[in-house]
Amino acid sequence: MNPIAPSTEPSPGAALASRDVYVRWLIALAVACGAIMIFFPFFWMAITSLKTAPEIQRVPLQIAPDHWLNLANYFEVFKRERFMRYLLNSAVVASVAAVSSLVVSSLAGFGFAKYHFPGRDAFFLAVVGIMMVPFQSVVVPLYVWINDLGLLDTYAGIVAPDLVSVFGVFLMRQAIETIPDDYIDAARIDGCSELRIFFSVILPSVKPAMATLLIIKFMWSWNEFFWPMVVISSPEMKVVTMGLMSFTNMYFIEYNLLTAAAVISILPILLIFITLQRWVVQAVVMSGLKG
Amino acid sequence: MRQWFRIVFPRNYSDRQNRAGFLFVLPALLFFGSVFLLPLAQSIRYSFYKIAPGGAKEFVGLRLYEKVLTDPGFWTAVKNTLQLLLFSVPTTVVLALAVALGLNRIVSLRWRNVWAAMYFLPFATSLVAAALVWQWIYDPVYGFLNHALSFVGIPPQKWLQSLSQVLPAIAAVSVWVRIGFDTMIFLAALQSIPEQYYEAARIDGANAFHQLRHITLPLLNPQIIMVCILELIFNFKIFDQVYATTQGGPAGASQTVIMLLYDTAFKFFRFGDASVMAVFVFVTLLVVTLLQWRLFRKPVEY
Repeated sequence: MNPIAPSTEPSPGAALASRDVYVRWLIALAVACGAIMIFFPFFWMAITSLKTAPEIQRVPLQIAPDHWLNLANYFEVFKRERFMRYLLNSAVVASVAAVSSLVVSSLAGFGFAKYHFPGRDAFFLAVVGIMMVPFQSVVVPLYVWINDLGLLDTYAGIVAPDLVSVFGVFLMRQAIETIPDDYIDAARIDGCSELRIFFSVILPSVKPAMATLLIIKFMWSWNEFFWPMVVISSPEMKVVTMGLMSFTNMYFIEYNLLTAAAVISILPILLIFITLQRWVVQAVVMSGLKG
Repeated sequence: MRQWFRIVFPRNYSDRQNRAGFLFVLPALLFFGSVFLLPLAQSIRYSFYKIAPGGAKEFVGLRLYEKVLTDPGFWTAVKNTLQLLLFSVPTTVVLALAVALGLNRIVSLRWRNVWAAMYFLPFATSLVAAALVWQWIYDPVYGFLNHALSFVGIPPQKWLQSLSQVLPAIAAVSVWVRIGFDTMIFLAALQSIPEQYYEAARIDGANAFHQLRHITLPLLNPQIIMVCILELIFNFKIFDQVYATTQGGPAGASQTVIMLLYDTAFKFFRFGDASVMAVFVFVTLLVVTLLQWRLFRKPVEY
């Protein structure tokens, strides 16, 4: 490791090196075993979704499905429930939440990062303080207001409290702070308006942060359950997490159908997530929080 | 005040700039105000009123607090929630720390990323889907877990249907979902520790345990505290997993505070009672967060 370390005792050094390799392999093995255990529920979900009802009730339990390409459960999910509609509802809600969050958060991030209006730091501290308010503590008044506005059972009602997240403001402020002030001043000398600076100087330089916010916000909205449960009552407005619940309402849960539905609900998010994981991890680590 | 006057009626270019900046943050401020601050104030107000399902309000002072805070059902829910915390928070943090230390020792960057991705995967799934898949694994008759345990001679357990096993079983789902998130935070922190510290310690004759005890853990202290607090908050607000699987059962053994709040508000429409619980949750988490600040302010000693 250290080239100038004295090599007066070669034999303990060599023994140490071989033991190091041994330990390193043990650690790698432990990490891999843990990862496989963490992955197992996904595997089990996928496997179960390929089995028939009698197959999953076989004793003793059999790991492999009889037919690896048995997609009957997937067709049945769409036939039994309006699952396509649930997917659409979730997609609409999550897209609106993500885009609105992106617009409002990048504007606010720019304002907090690059201007010195009076009370800026106090306002930012207030935004940080918002994180201390759990959503469950404000849900009753929100429900009453949404009801008064006649928005129960509508897209607007589901998406209303989800339009901006503190996380987004944090993320965009942090990203925009790294842009040198000189760029902004140069644009001002060229006669740019402040809004024009936002669009042609700021936004192009924070594209990774924008993409990250878009993905994470989409993911969180897609997985949302508590608030939709509160505002949605009609079957055609259900989001996908509520749709999953409709496979559990029977006395005996048909897990082959339930797991197929779960695969359908998880897959879109998982694919986006795996492709863009590095950015997501960076953002999560940077902020260390969930809005 | 004069500064604000100049924001509204700008006199020069710099004033106009500041006005633009304020207008940029205004939409976010208005949103947070109307979705968090106003409803929070309203929740506190509601907690002093008896509200009929029609909307008629009657001021009752602290009577609802008395009612909710002397209700044994409420304290059972609090006890269950705390028990869930006790099961899941230490387990998640310790396991995540172990995984991060392990991942950090893996030399091949590609394999490290593959394993890290697998640990992080549950974070992307909805809690509902996660809980339902686990319910299937826990199934007393056809579930995989009892099948696997039968190989080591352990008889079938009832898991989610057992009074004593339901809380650890639900806690395990939370651990599964959260372990990757915490691991990522720890891993990032580990990678920012300069390698020289360890080299210096090795020259001084420190073994792996000494290095962990006297370099890694002290330097990771802020992250450990932060993750503990985040996990406390996350697990205190537990709802999705319980609602999707046991709905508080069997016989109320997994009833949690937020489950009770949801049922009180949206099943029985007792908004006043629910608001008392909402205030309780807010105050509890506020105390936890303020405690976190105090712990953070204390400089880390090496």
